[in-house]
Amino acid sequence: MLSGIDVFVVLFYMAGIMLLGFYFKKFIHSSQDYFLAGKMLPFWAIGMSIVVSDIGALDFVGVSGQAYRFGISVGNFDWIGSVPAMLLAAFIFVPYFWKAGLYTIPEYLGKRYNDYVRTLASLTWIIFFAFNLGAIFWASAVFLETLLDWPAWLDWPVWRSIILTAVVVGIYTFFGGLTAVVMTDVVQMIIMFVGGIAVVFLGFYQVGGWDGLVAKMAEMGIEHQSRFELIQPVNTETPFPWTGILFGLTFVMANAYMIGNQAVVQRCLAAKNEWHAKASMIWGAFLKMFIPVMVLFPGLIATVMHPGLEEGDQAFPMLIGTLLPIGLRGLLFAALLAGLMSSIDSVLNSTATLWTKDIYQKFIKKEASDKHYLNVGRVTTILLLIFGVLTAPVSKKFPGIYVAIQTFLSFFQGPIFSILLLGIFFRRITAWGGCAGLVGGITVSISLYLNKSSLFTIEDPFLYVSWWSFVAGFIITIVVSIFTKPHPEQKLYGLVYRLAEKNGVNK
Amino acid sequence: MLEHIKYILNFEWLTNVAITPARGLFLGLFIVIGILVLLIPNDYIYEGVEERKWWHNLKLWAWLDLAFIFTVYYIF
Repeated sequence: MLSGIDVFVVLFYMAGIMLLGFYFKKFIHSSQDYFLAGKMLPFWAIGMSIVVSDIGALDFVGVSGQAYRFGISVGNFDWIGSVPAMLLAAFIFVPYFWKAGLYTIPEYLGKRYNDYVRTLASLTWIIFFAFNLGAIFWASAVFLETLLDWPAWLDWPVWRSIILTAVVVGIYTFFGGLTAVVMTDVVQMIIMFVGGIAVVFLGFYQVGGWDGLVAKMAEMGIEHQSRFELIQPVNTETPFPWTGILFGLTFVMANAYMIGNQAVVQRCLAAKNEWHAKASMIWGAFLKMFIPVMVLFPGLIATVMHPGLEEGDQAFPMLIGTLLPIGLRGLLFAALLAGLMSSIDSVLNSTATLWTKDIYQKFIKKEASDKHYLNVGRVTTILLLIFGVLTAPVSKKFPGIYVAIQTFLSFFQGPIFSILLLGIFFRRITAWGGCAGLVGGITVSISLYLNKSSLFTIEDPFLYVSWWSFVAGFIITIVVSIFTKPHPEQKLYGLVYRLAEKNGVNK
Repeated sequence: MLEHIKYILNFEWLTNVAITPARGLFLGLFIVIGILVLLIPNDYIYEGVEERKWWHNLKLWAWLDLAFIFTVYYIF
């Protein structure tokens, strides 16, 4: 439980974020303002927003826990699992998405391939985001319940925390759209970095700095020495063999996430010009490299300070209790809450965009005024918020649901990236090739997952499944494209890398 | 047959690759990306910039990112 000063810091932070987000209401006049922030965002805000939305309190606890159990190899996800993918996005994909004036990534797939691919991709993301929202709300509630001393008349456990989070995030996302989401994320990232680095700084002080940490770890035995190895052998006992990290994570999952994830790329589409769109990803990649410092080092420090914990996930909370004084503890909780709130606002705004642009405008009401689509976006935000609040307790009743949601998404990651990659580089890839590659890749993905115990030797082979489903999608797309008719070249201008420039168009 | 499939799916054919050459693969990847970034035409890099300044050169930004990550993987 927090002290009065800590609680004040957390509540002051929540109120401040809500007011700041609400302030951006005055900039919303059209659907473009709401979904793409009027295409006025600078690179620094977008980069910071991408980073903070990608990390939440669950990462602080979960990644620290994995670092406690396995060492620094979990840092691969933020280092090699981000930088190459974000550079590929910055220099190849994002400029084309931005120039095409897109609102959503499935919209690109629709233009490059056909509406079947667009709708399938869009519905996948909508379902994933909608159910993920409940899981994040639940995590926020658990978090707030442990730290706030609620007054007796509010004897409504869990729901009071869920509703408090929903009201704070809902108000600024509903009124301020993407501008509010991104600008509040900027503040949230600063708070998160200050809180996270404070824990690491105090932790290192306690264990005698880096040298002290290494020496104490060495004293703990030979098995602890591999904790400082980023690259693990193929037959490692950790879930992170270097083959999985290189093929599954670096080549597929990271790219699929940074290039195909609406919540990430939508911010870049809102950049004020093409240079800012590219720069936002490279700046984001730079900031992302500091995330492991905040989420991974606490796990290592806890290995030395609190050895023998039953669960790795206890490492981070134990460290907070040991290290942080009154006041700073409140700041760190505000930082963790910042991660959760930024994840919720991103999901709300991105899902509203996908629904309004890819489903509602495409299939339900094609010719309506811009004001109408703005209102649809806002109503969708509210409905999603209600859905998220109502489904939050499902995470409690069915603990496996969060894993199931992530697994559901992982079926699509490899195949979607295969058709994005082929689609942007090769004009010969056809609409039916993309469609078959997507469906075939997903089928392979599901088949591998269903037979994982008989096909794979490691316990959780998600890195391998994503790689092989990518390979399947890649091959099927090429084979079907060979036997089907491509789009006319002119139709692909602006959708295939440097095709227009090679033909002397736009130059 | 199943054993053969497992051998491929689990990358067991790479089991004999030691950590040092594996690390070389990672570092080599960063170098290749750096070279590819170098090959991008300058006009494409500066697209959207009205008055070019040296710090608008996104290749420098990308190399900074790559230098940082190269160092991390070189040390650990």
